[in-house]
Amino acid sequence: MNSGQVATHRSRDEIADAIRTLTRADWARLRKIANYYARPQIGPKDLLQEAFARALDGRTCPAHVDVVKFLAEAMRSIADGEGEKVEHRLPLVSIVAKTGEALPEALNHPDQSPTAEGRLIGEEEAGLLRRNILAIFDDDPVAQIIVEGMMEEMNAEELRELSGLDKTAYDSKRKLIRRRIDKQYPEGWTP
Amino acid sequence: MTGNDKRERNALNRLADALVDDIFNTSDEDILAEFRDTHGDPDRYAAEMRELFDKSILIANKKRLAAAKAGAAASRKPAPILSSGPIDMEAARARLRAIANTPGIPQRVTLAARNENELSDNDILGMLDDLRELGVLPPDDQGGKP
Repeated sequence: MNSGQVATHRSRDEIADAIRTLTRADWARLRKIANYYARPQIGPKDLLQEAFARALDGRTCPAHVDVVKFLAEAMRSIADGEGEKVEHRLPLVSIVAKTGEALPEALNHPDQSPTAEGRLIGEEEAGLLRRNILAIFDDDPVAQIIVEGMMEEMNAEELRELSGLDKTAYDSKRKLIRRRIDKQYPEGWTP
Repeated sequence: MTGNDKRERNALNRLADALVDDIFNTSDEDILAEFRDTHGDPDRYAAEMRELFDKSILIANKKRLAAAKAGAAASRKPAPILSSGPIDMEAARARLRAIANTPGIPQRVTLAARNENELSDNDILGMLDDLRELGVLPPDDQGGKP
């Protein structure tokens, strides 16, 4: 690259350096995000570790994207079961199989992490989890209706209108919602 | 799975997305205070995660090494032996004529071989290669090739 050119993507080493220098608040954010995207098939820690693997696998991280957001998006994608990881790893397996070379022990283990299909949370499980989350707010109908609205992808304005709250009260309610969910599910979402 | 089949799961994903947005809009101080409430010491957790990340780097590097080894092994495979010397076309044509007169050779081959004087050098060499592949010629029979 010419010295005059500006890199549009972070290199693998740059991603690694950025992750190494994350602050404790960044790590706390990542843990919370991992909790939200965790599912019974893949817990928060495994989800974050898989996101690291993707970051180091040569995933494209645009230079302007914050690494925490990049890892958050990777976790979302993994949890959503797009099968990206499976697709990405198969070539390595086939090369190994062709060469028949002995590999370090760690690489000979079958992939223990859930497959794309395995990650797909069952509708029944998801339904139960959704009802359980809503039940946290049985004593707070305003919070409950906001949570239901969030599940329907309503924006802040629509949610404020739905709840009848002004901006300050609404912001405070959103914070309460998140904190109650966090307390109920400190190790990620499971029914 | 269609959209309807994932209705419940999509609802959870949308809630997760909204909560993640809130996380990004929350100050460091508040995030750390909340973290202490639910998970304990954020410094200890950060240290654990850095260690986990270092392990992930090690695993990723091992994979890269394995892939590099596999690539190197593939490139070390002996290349097919290509004759570099001149081909004795007279010998190749004589070999083909001899095959044409061998009992048990399919008629299609013998007819073609008997007309070898009408075939180009490339045709002759191609036919000998085909016969070698069919097992009519032993693999080490190079026809006119050195």
